[in-house]
Amino acid sequence: MIPEPRADGLSPAAYRVVGRALPRFDVADKVRGATQYAADWQMPGMLVGRILRSIYPCARIRRLDVARARALPGVAVVLTARDLPRSGVEEDPTGAGLLRFTTPILADGVVRYQGEPVAIVAAASDASARAALAAIEVEYEPLPGVHDAEAAARRGAERVHEGRDNVFVHWKLRRGDVETGFRGAAAVVERTYRTQRVDHAYLEPEAGVAWVDADGVITVRASSQVIEHFRALAEILGLPHNRVRVIAPFLGGGFGGKEDMTVEPYVAALAWATGRPVRMVWGRDESLLARPKRHAFVMRYKTGAARDGSLLAQEISLLADAGPYPLLSPRVLFAALVVGCGPYRVPHVRIDARAVFTNNVPASAMRGFGAMQMTFAYEAQMDLIAHALGMPPAAIRERNFLRKGDRLPTGEAAGTYVALPELLRRAQDALGERSRPSGPTARVGRGIACNMQPYGRTVWFQDRASAWLGLEADGSLVIRAGVPDLGGGQAASLAQIAAEVLGVSVERIRVHVGDSALTPLAGGTFATRQLYMSGNAALRCARELRAEIAPVAAALLEAAEADLEFADDHVGVAGAPDRRVSLARVVAECSRRGVPVSRLSAFQGERSAPPDLDTGQGRTFPDYTYGCHAAEVEVDTETGETRLLKYAACHDVGRAINPQSVAGQIQGGAAMGIGQALGEEIALEAGVNLTTLFANYLMPTAPDLPDIQAIVLESGEGRGPFGARGIGEPPTGPPLATIAAAVADATGVRPLELPITPERVFRALAGRAGTKEGR
Amino acid sequence: MYLPPFRYVAPRTLDEAIALLREHGDDAKVLAGGQSLLPLMMLGLARPGVLVDVNGIPGLDRIEADGDAVRVGALVRHRAVETDPRLRAACPVLADAAPLIGNIRVRHRGTVGGSLAHADPAAEVPLVATALGATVEVRGAGGARDIPVHEFFRGYLETALGPAEVVTALRLPARGPRMGYGLAELVRRSGDFATVSACAVLGLDGGGRCTHAAVAIGGVGPSALRMRGAERLLIGQLPGDRTLDDAADAVRAEVAPESDVHASADYRRAMARVMARRALGAAVARAGGESRAAGPGAVRS
Repeated sequence: MIPEPRADGLSPAAYRVVGRALPRFDVADKVRGATQYAADWQMPGMLVGRILRSIYPCARIRRLDVARARALPGVAVVLTARDLPRSGVEEDPTGAGLLRFTTPILADGVVRYQGEPVAIVAAASDASARAALAAIEVEYEPLPGVHDAEAAARRGAERVHEGRDNVFVHWKLRRGDVETGFRGAAAVVERTYRTQRVDHAYLEPEAGVAWVDADGVITVRASSQVIEHFRALAEILGLPHNRVRVIAPFLGGGFGGKEDMTVEPYVAALAWATGRPVRMVWGRDESLLARPKRHAFVMRYKTGAARDGSLLAQEISLLADAGPYPLLSPRVLFAALVVGCGPYRVPHVRIDARAVFTNNVPASAMRGFGAMQMTFAYEAQMDLIAHALGMPPAAIRERNFLRKGDRLPTGEAAGTYVALPELLRRAQDALGERSRPSGPTARVGRGIACNMQPYGRTVWFQDRASAWLGLEADGSLVIRAGVPDLGGGQAASLAQIAAEVLGVSVERIRVHVGDSALTPLAGGTFATRQLYMSGNAALRCARELRAEIAPVAAALLEAAEADLEFADDHVGVAGAPDRRVSLARVVAECSRRGVPVSRLSAFQGERSAPPDLDTGQGRTFPDYTYGCHAAEVEVDTETGETRLLKYAACHDVGRAINPQSVAGQIQGGAAMGIGQALGEEIALEAGVNLTTLFANYLMPTAPDLPDIQAIVLESGEGRGPFGARGIGEPPTGPPLATIAAAVADATGVRPLELPITPERVFRALAGRAGTKEGR
Repeated sequence: MYLPPFRYVAPRTLDEAIALLREHGDDAKVLAGGQSLLPLMMLGLARPGVLVDVNGIPGLDRIEADGDAVRVGALVRHRAVETDPRLRAACPVLADAAPLIGNIRVRHRGTVGGSLAHADPAAEVPLVATALGATVEVRGAGGARDIPVHEFFRGYLETALGPAEVVTALRLPARGPRMGYGLAELVRRSGDFATVSACAVLGLDGGGRCTHAAVAIGGVGPSALRMRGAERLLIGQLPGDRTLDDAADAVRAEVAPESDVHASADYRRAMARVMARRALGAAVARAGGESRAAGPGAVRS
């Protein structure tokens, strides 16, 4: 049973704008190719910026000589680490006071991964920029480096950073006593799962332009998820924070890959050094080579359950390959830790989550942020335990699903409705009748997987977002919010929320987003936080503005405030259609009376201290989005190929502000997860990237995917505006486990490693002869 | 990734094109559909100083089917091979191979001659040409000559074409009365080059015995390779399941593939057997023999 929406003053039927699949204001320009993305920006006298990248994964730089490059015609500047006021900013990547680290912007004496920036140039043309790169003389002393995460984590291993342990973060979660749990278990399943490195592979590679404005402000217009990077840029350039401005235009995708800085420090430094505008656009080969990836995880799981299927204990050891720099790894690992057991009640839990330095390509944020990899393992464990106990996969899940109010392994309560029983049923039903195998060597199989994904930042970051709303004299509305729009409709959602409250039609709303100088700061677009945080900020701002002007409108209409209706660009009186005044008239009256028609509001998320570091007990994430996916596959047992026949993805989004945008997020997220399940892999050989082309980095294309059925449930219980939950990241997680389960169902062999390539399935089938592996 | 600078010339006749190729030697490359050459240039793997665009030369884009033999002009696009009814009637195996090439945008531009001259070991046109024992017609300064396909492909992206020679056509032999073909390929992703591909062509006599057998495998060596050992096992035999299994096993033993990021050598070898067996089964069925029935088109796994 889906509960009635929580009381927020409006029942769903009364929503005029929220819940409608309105065309987004940004879409027409995108379809016409008129949107000015970061790389489209042109300025007079603009230079071309390029990066010289390390060809070795690990090497000492014996000599770096840029004199010849600087002397070339057309070359404006060549910069190395020594030329920057500061080649990095010291940060605490844990946010909990556990680590201090400075990640270099340019390598200084040592390179630690293949593709690491060594020097940057700005030149009059791309040809002269390339010539300058070729003329830079670098003498490397290649070193063997550390490339195996498990070996790097062992005592006595070669170190990536002198004087630092390779294991640089170790989160712990302790609840109950796992030994007690396992002793009482009727079935115990122990497996090790491995997920691979994958790339964000956004349509729009990293790009940006920087210039020094007439007032001396360094302005960076870049494809970025975080305009607040202006502070780090100022530190690097040795400038006051208010001398750097970051503008994020519409992005062609971010997925976490533009959460750390990309081109920003390079274009900023080059513009600062030359005084001229500098544009830098990375090629797909650069992006695939050197941008931080999704972490490869090794997950050891031991799960025990009672005869009736009740989970008793879960022991998890997780190791992530971070590459040579911490970036966001500590936070990724923390998210993985918190959801390690999945959306199930487990009384006894022990989790160790560690990240280790290697000389592989760095890993950092990517859609799903550590939580999604865990889905692959915990859902496989559920299937294996079910198999051991002779239960259907759905039954063991139903027995253990979290319910609102239940304790999570962190000791905190699940704070909102958990719709998993309904989600599971809807996803399974969506597959319809079972397909018949297409040939004598084909086997059809089905799988399901459920997940929970946090939305919003961990509460100890004390997250906050601001929004400014102002009515114009003609009754139109301006919204200003420092929200980078990644293409998910972040800006349009704010318009839809404000339209609902203030009655301005969405066509009469102009949204200005993503400018650190002109829009109130809202925090980056990551962690599935923007609808939750900025949506709430816009909602609060709209309600406060409405409260401000309502008495004026009431006076004009000679009506009670409680009877006012804001709709269709008018304020009217409920039940009296002929009694209404235009918003423009209300604004004019406000001006006459000195009542403000604009407002800045902030939404402050929950604030709490970090959890206990020895046990992981405490407050962590604001809330979660739950989902269940179901898949049907056909496996060719002769070749090991897996073909996806049907796919359904079902999530409780609390309230869909724009159902079309929600469906888009679900379909895109599922496709991303499917790509990771079946084909994508950044393959490294001793740190050397073998997959820097889309010809060998195998993303699925349209013909490889079936129609992904997006099923949206609205429980009305979420912590976002109108009871919404975030949906950006949640759909990426379940495909890994869903497809693995379907392959196991078809073949009897459970994939423990991703991607599920034809060769891996073929080998597993060949190796099965005689052995009995649980499904 | 930008194209490096180059000179572009568009001759109106073959002689002009050949003269340009002679003049510029190794620095010149023929541009036909551009579906292989331009990506190589984008990646910096080819840096020709001169591109000789042959698209404007008349007469190179004809499909001529007289009787059973077929002559496919070098500039015929893969999409035309896929859709031309005369070609499909005369040489259905080539018509069935065409839709396996890239995607529809690639097929509208890519040409038969370009695919031959590029000589990718996993490409479909060289595979079918090899299995059919086709002939490549070329023209150079010394005039025209015919090169049998087994002499045309010399190695990975290497052919017998002289520096100033141009492929003008692919000539396919006439089809016998009880001949059948089969195509099978394994791809990691739709439209990609095959990991392993197979093309089998079998001819049967009135008693159902194999009088002609050709098995070509792509993706396992420097070019598409004929499987002579497997073919010997088929000649003179009734192609029942046992015989086809034996022939496929022989294919597995005959290939010597290498490992790459997409597949190990062992897996490629195993898949060469599977693809050969599937292609053979389809060929027998089409020739009117006994093995598993073949539907229309290729066996695409």
